[in-house]
Amino acid sequence: MDMASSQETGRRLRRPSDLAREHRGTRRSRVAGAIDLTWPLEFARSQEDRQALLVILSLPSLTPRRLLELAAERRTATSCLRAINAGIAGSPYDRRHASSVDPGSVAASLEGLGGRLVAVHDSDYPLGLLDLVDPPAGLFVRGHALQELEPRAAIVGARNCSPSGEEIAGTLAEALAKAGACVVSGGARGIDAAAHKAALRAGGPSVAVLGSGIDVPYPRENASLLKDVAASGCLVSEYPPGTKAEPFRFPARNRIIAGLSRAVVVVEGAGGSGSMITADQALDLGRDVFAVPGAVSNPLATVPLALIRDGAALIRGPRDLLDDLGLKIGAISNEGGPGLPALGDPALEAVLSVLTVPAPPDALAASAGLPLPEVVSALVQLELMGLVREVGGRFERRATPALASRHKR
Amino acid sequence: MGHVITVEAHVGRGLPALVVTGLPGAGVQDARERVRPAVESSGLQWPLRRVVVNLSPAGLRKDGPGFDLPVALGVLAASAQIPATKLSRYAFSGELSLKGELVPTAGILTVAMAASTAGLDGVVVPQANAAEAGLVDGLAVIAAPDLASAVGFLRGTWTPEPGALPPFQRGAEPRRDVDFSEVRGQGVARRALEIAATGGHNVLMVGPPGAGKTMVARRLPTILPAMTRQEALEVTRLHSVAGILSGGGLVETRPFRSPHHSISSAGMLGGGSGFLRPGEVSLAHNGVLFLDELTEFRRDALEGLRQPLEDGRVVVVRSSGAVDFPARFALIAASNPCPCGYRGDQRRSCRCLPNRVLAYRQRLSGPMLDRVDIQLSVPRLTRAELLGSESGESSVRIRERVELARELQRQRLAGTPWACNAQMPGAFARKLAPLTDRAESLLSQAVENLGLSGRGFDRAIKVARTIADLAGHERVSAEHIGEALGYRTPARAEEMAQVG
Repeated sequence: MDMASSQETGRRLRRPSDLAREHRGTRRSRVAGAIDLTWPLEFARSQEDRQALLVILSLPSLTPRRLLELAAERRTATSCLRAINAGIAGSPYDRRHASSVDPGSVAASLEGLGGRLVAVHDSDYPLGLLDLVDPPAGLFVRGHALQELEPRAAIVGARNCSPSGEEIAGTLAEALAKAGACVVSGGARGIDAAAHKAALRAGGPSVAVLGSGIDVPYPRENASLLKDVAASGCLVSEYPPGTKAEPFRFPARNRIIAGLSRAVVVVEGAGGSGSMITADQALDLGRDVFAVPGAVSNPLATVPLALIRDGAALIRGPRDLLDDLGLKIGAISNEGGPGLPALGDPALEAVLSVLTVPAPPDALAASAGLPLPEVVSALVQLELMGLVREVGGRFERRATPALASRHKR
Repeated sequence: MGHVITVEAHVGRGLPALVVTGLPGAGVQDARERVRPAVESSGLQWPLRRVVVNLSPAGLRKDGPGFDLPVALGVLAASAQIPATKLSRYAFSGELSLKGELVPTAGILTVAMAASTAGLDGVVVPQANAAEAGLVDGLAVIAAPDLASAVGFLRGTWTPEPGALPPFQRGAEPRRDVDFSEVRGQGVARRALEIAATGGHNVLMVGPPGAGKTMVARRLPTILPAMTRQEALEVTRLHSVAGILSGGGLVETRPFRSPHHSISSAGMLGGGSGFLRPGEVSLAHNGVLFLDELTEFRRDALEGLRQPLEDGRVVVVRSSGAVDFPARFALIAASNPCPCGYRGDQRRSCRCLPNRVLAYRQRLSGPMLDRVDIQLSVPRLTRAELLGSESGESSVRIRERVELARELQRQRLAGTPWACNAQMPGAFARKLAPLTDRAESLLSQAVENLGLSGRGFDRAIKVARTIADLAGHERVSAEHIGEALGYRTPARAEEMAQVG
C-alpha cells in the first residue's frame, strides 16, 4: 500500500505545455531567488518562543512569507515579536494588535476545544508544507496527529457541483479510504463535503483544512460533518481559534491542502474557481495532479479540462487513481461498483443502452425507437433501481448503482 | 349576479341641481356632471330645477357608468319630454359622452340576462355592445348609437336597423393564432399538457429561462375541448363585467390569462374598491390561468388560489357587499429551478448558494401545490437537440384524443359531482382506478424508495387514471403508473435535498 515515488507518477506533468506555464509566470517564478529561506531550528523550540508564536499567528497582516523572512534574520519567535513591537518589522497595525493578544488565553481556548499548536520543526509538523515558498510557522490542529494520517491525497472541486460530480468524488474518496489513504479536502460544500463523507463512510480517516479557526464550522451546515472528520482524522487551520471564514483566506487554505497531500484530484470546477488555485499550488510543489474530465460544453468541466490539457493525469474512475498512486485494493473497476445488472426487460435495456449523454426523455424515445410514454415509465423504473437520475429535465446514468447506500446515509 | 334597478326621477322646486340617492357608487356620482351636457348636446332641455334621481332597491350598492342612459331618460321623462310608456318594459344601460353618444360599456351581457330573467321586452344598449346583449335569447336588442336615438325610439320616431347579429354556431372551429405543431422538442412537456387537458390536472413546469415554458403553456387552450354554449356564455358574461370583451359577441376561444407576478390579491381573486371586478381567476374561467415565475407572486395572491382550485368559484367579500364569481380554470405554473435560473442547465452554471436554492424550492411547495398533479422539469434544449427533434402533432389531432378520453371520464363519473379525474378525491380515485398487480408493486416500490408522500401517491393514481383513459384502457397498468411517476420532478428535488 505504498505510494509510488513521485518521480514515477509525476512524469506526466513534465510536458512541453509545462514550459508554457513557466513562461506565464507561476508563484514559484515570481519569488525566484528567495526560495532557499528556511525556518531556523530554534524558531519555536522554547516555551517562551511558543507563546510568542501564538501572538504572531494572531496578527492579521503579517503574511507567512514575511514572517519567514523576518525569522531568517531574527532566529527565534520571541525575537521576531520583539522586532514587531519595536516597530522594526511588521505594520503599525500589527504592533497595536500584538499588544492586545494574550497568549495565555489563546492557549487556554485551544486547550478547551481539544486542539493544539503544531509549530514548524515539531515532530508532527507535516514536512510537505516546507515545500511551500510561504510555509505556515504553525498549524492549529484538532484531532489525530497528521503523521498518523498517511499517505494523504486531496480531492477538491466545485462547491456548486453537479450530482454526478458529487458521486464521482464520493467513489474516489471511498476507494482511497479502502486503500488506506487519508482523504484531504477543504471542508466546503459540494465536492469537498462529498469526499469527506464518502471517506468517513468507508471507515477511512479524513483531514479538513479550514479557512476559518478550527472551532468555527464553515459552512454552518457542515458542522456535524466536520465534527466527524475531527474524530476520524483532524481539522487543520493556520488561523487561531475564533477566526471567521473570510474570502481571502481560502486561496491561502488551498496551498496547505496541496502541501499536505501527495496528490490532488480535481473533480469539477468552473472557470476562475478555487480548484484551479489548489491545482496550481500542487503543480508548483511537484505534486501529482489528477483531473476527472467532463464534456467540453459543461461549464463545471472547465478546470479539469484545462488541467488535463496542461498535462494533469486524466482519471476515469477509482481504478485509474489507485493505479497511478500505486495503491491496491484487489479488483476495482472505474465504475466503482458491480457491473450493470441484467434488467430482464427489453424496454429498460433499450432505454439504458441509448442513454450515453444526459438527454431529455423525448430524445431518448427517438433514439430507442420507443413511444415517449413507455420511455418515461422505463426511466422511472431505472431511477427506482438507482441506475439513472434526473437533473433539470435530462436523465443521466449514475456512476454507482447506489440505491442500497442511500439508506446508510 | 345581476339585478334590475328601477330609476326614478323627480323634478321639483329649488336651485338647479342633480341629486342621486340610493347608494350610488363613485361611478354613478360621476354621471351627475356628464348627463346634463349629454342631454343638452342632443337637442333636449335640461330642467333648470332641482332634480332628484333615486335608484331602487336603495339597499343595493350600484356602480359603473352604465347608469348614464337610464338617469338621462328618467330626467327627460320627469320633465315630460318623452313618453313614459315603454320605459318600464325595457332595460337601459350605457355610458354617455358629453356629445350625447352612447359609448361601449362594460357589463351589458349581465344587464341583458337580468332583463330577460325579469321578463322585460328588451334592452336599449350602446351599438357597440349589441352583439353581446344579443346572446340572450328572446330579448329585443335596441342598438342605439346615441341618446337622441334612444329618445327617438321611446317617442316612436326612430327604429333601429334590423339587427344583423351573427347567430352562435355550436362546434364552429374557433380561430387560433398558435398551434402545438409549431413546438420543436419538449416532447415531455407536450405530453404532460395533453394529459393535463384530458384529466383537468394542474401543471407546474420548472426550468431555466428560455426553455419554452410559456410557449408550451400558451398552446394548452388549443387542445382543450371546445366550449359548450353554456360555458361560452359564462366566459362572455365575466369578460363583459370586467369590460375586456373585444368586438362584442360570444367568446368562443377558451381564455388564456397570464397575469404579471406583481399582481395584487384583489387583481388575482377579484374585488377592488367600490365596484367589485372579477379577478384573473374568474377571467380565466373555463380556460387557462398561467402563472409565470410562480415564486415571484405575492404570497396572499397565491394563498387565495386555494378556494378557486378546490371549489371552482371565488367569493369576494368587501364592505360594499359580497360577490360570488365562477372560477374554474386549469392552472399552469412555471418557475425557475433556483434564484439565478440555471441550476441543472447544460451550458450555464448556477451561481446560487445551496441554502438559497433550498429556500427557493420551499417556496414551490405548500398547500397550493398539493392541487397540482403534474410537475415536471423542462430543460433548455441545446442547438443540436433542437435541430434533432421533430416538431409536434397539430393541436386538432391532440384534441381529438383529449375529447375521446374526456368522454370516458364523463361516463365513469356520471352521477358524481366531479367532471374529470383531477377533481376526484384521493380515496375515490383509488377505487375508480383498478391497478394491475405489477402497477401495485411499482407504486409501493416508489413509496419505499422515492419517498412518495400520501398526497403524491393520490396524485400519481389520478394522473395514471388519465393516462389509461388516453390509451383507452379500463385498468391502470404498471406503464401508466410508471409514466405518472415521471411527472413529479420538484418532489424529486426535495428528496435529493433531504438526502444530500
